[in-house]
Amino acid sequence: MDECVLKIEQLEKSFGDLHVLKGIDLEIHKGEVVCIIGASGSGKSTLLRCINLLEEADDGHIWFDGQDLMDLNVNLNALRQKIGMVFQSFNLFNNKNVIDNCTLAPMTVKKVPKAKAEEVAVRNLKTVGLSDFIYADSTRLSGGQKQRVAIARALCMEPEIMLFDEPTSALDPEIVGEVLDVMKALAAEGMTMVVVTHEMAFAKEVSDRVVFMDQGVILEQGSPKEIFGNPKNERTREFLSRYLEDKQE
Amino acid sequence: MNRSVKGNFITRDHPYVFLGGSLIALLGLSLLAGEPHSLSFLTDNLPGTLCRIIFWGFLALSALALVIKLTNGRNYRSTFLCTPRMRLISRWFSYFVVLACLLALLDRGLLQLVYTVQTCMQLEKNPQDFGSSMIYMSVKSKDILLAGVWTTVRIALLGTTIAFVLSIFMVFLRIQEPDKRDNDFVKALKWLASHFSRFYIFVIRGTPMMVQALIFYYFGFNLFKRTNMSVTEINHIWSFFISGLCTVSLNSTAYLTEVLRGGIQAIDRGQTEAARSLGMSNWQSMIKVVFPQAVKNSIPAIGNEFIINIKDSSVLSVIGVMDLMYATKSVSGIYFRSLEIYCVAAILYLILTWLSSKLLQYLGKKLDTPVKGIPSSN
Repeated sequence: MDECVLKIEQLEKSFGDLHVLKGIDLEIHKGEVVCIIGASGSGKSTLLRCINLLEEADDGHIWFDGQDLMDLNVNLNALRQKIGMVFQSFNLFNNKNVIDNCTLAPMTVKKVPKAKAEEVAVRNLKTVGLSDFIYADSTRLSGGQKQRVAIARALCMEPEIMLFDEPTSALDPEIVGEVLDVMKALAAEGMTMVVVTHEMAFAKEVSDRVVFMDQGVILEQGSPKEIFGNPKNERTREFLSRYLEDKQE
Repeated sequence: MNRSVKGNFITRDHPYVFLGGSLIALLGLSLLAGEPHSLSFLTDNLPGTLCRIIFWGFLALSALALVIKLTNGRNYRSTFLCTPRMRLISRWFSYFVVLACLLALLDRGLLQLVYTVQTCMQLEKNPQDFGSSMIYMSVKSKDILLAGVWTTVRIALLGTTIAFVLSIFMVFLRIQEPDKRDNDFVKALKWLASHFSRFYIFVIRGTPMMVQALIFYYFGFNLFKRTNMSVTEINHIWSFFISGLCTVSLNSTAYLTEVLRGGIQAIDRGQTEAARSLGMSNWQSMIKVVFPQAVKNSIPAIGNEFIINIKDSSVLSVIGVMDLMYATKSVSGIYFRSLEIYCVAAILYLILTWLSSKLLQYLGKKLDTPVKGIPSSN
């Protein structure tokens, strides 16, 4: 767990007058599962989107694969292939069926032959438990199924790290479980994962490290035991206690 | 009222049988009052008389009912007219009235039209009567008019197709946006592409198509003239039809570009983000993910553009394109009658647009994209 996959240094991001990220430093090690928690508007999602440059940060460094993503001359498309991303709103390609969603990127970007791409796609769809939906229309799936296809789609590019941007926030409580189960299995296989989530139970159970963000800074990070058991920061304590109160009601 | 709602329209009891039946009977009588023509089968013969008897009989019964209603007031329902048997008889009586009226319509309407067309075809002179004149002129000059219709359809169809192809190219120019990671040359190129497209749309949408048609025609003409070609040769290559087609194509390109741009913008940003996050380039995600969805959503609007072109190509008659409008003008010049033949043109345009919109609705249903009505002009 010593090899550092991703290293973020002094990341700054503003939307107009709104200062969203105020000098973020974060290291992600190989095989590590890091959960980022915090109130809405604390900059969690922005941080995640800055990592694969869906949002362009204003300042700082993102070291990945020996290159700084913030360097304007870097081959962004090549690096993004190695960073899988799962969105809150699934973002399956509406004009493609399930398997074409999975094979599109490997075929166009990596120039993988169709047969090989489909073989990988079928294997990944099996992993997420959707082998019965291979040729289904992607717009007709349930939310949980869509999100699992999205995970399989990202896996087809064989990424070194997976980013999850609130993957269960758009799902109803009953099907949150099926997506979390897939993510747990993925974590167990040793995938490096960064998960922005409001699922505290998941963070507690699966993550190696929990990062608490508030108002654009990382206030506290540590093992789930430390963060949930004995938070040092006053704000963290406040956030977690409010969350627990909500849970009990 | 003890009206049963069960059964179909024929067997069901209806209110206002006398009122409705009387109106239909009056319509039938007024039709039969018209002069019979040689194809008429309802003259003073037996069927004609029978129809008149039915109409008058029903009117008499209705008048009786009215008198009883006025004298009895609220007790009307207890009179003999409201017994179930009487209701049944009056209802069936009204059906005969309807039947007779339909016969009268067939006789004095449809057969009258056939008769008029027949006589008009044999006429040597344009009749004074408005309807007859319309028919006379359209029958006599049907070749000119049909050639005009054919030209209009060809221009609209070809023009919209060419415009669609060009607009795909144009919209790619339009949506270029300089990115922080591009080098200066690419940035300049993108800026130029986007602004060229904007300017093109600005000019085309801001000027009338009639002016564009004239400019394109004379521009092409002058261009060919520099090659020392004779006027006949130029007219052969840069014909009215070709220059008109160019006008429609280039005009529609501007509108379709905006349609496609709207279609692209309507696609959720998440689609692009997902594609980019998988390592696809901007171009790849546009071609493989966004554009197919945008085109599919734009199909109704593209169909509308075709219908608009059917109508708007009429302005091309100013440069001498022999479309339906030009044909109509010619016919009006031959007979020195305007109103009648322009009404014919209106009817022909209406048939064309109606047929196309029906066709587009059918295609839209097949492609799962609903289309409605005839669109307004640009």
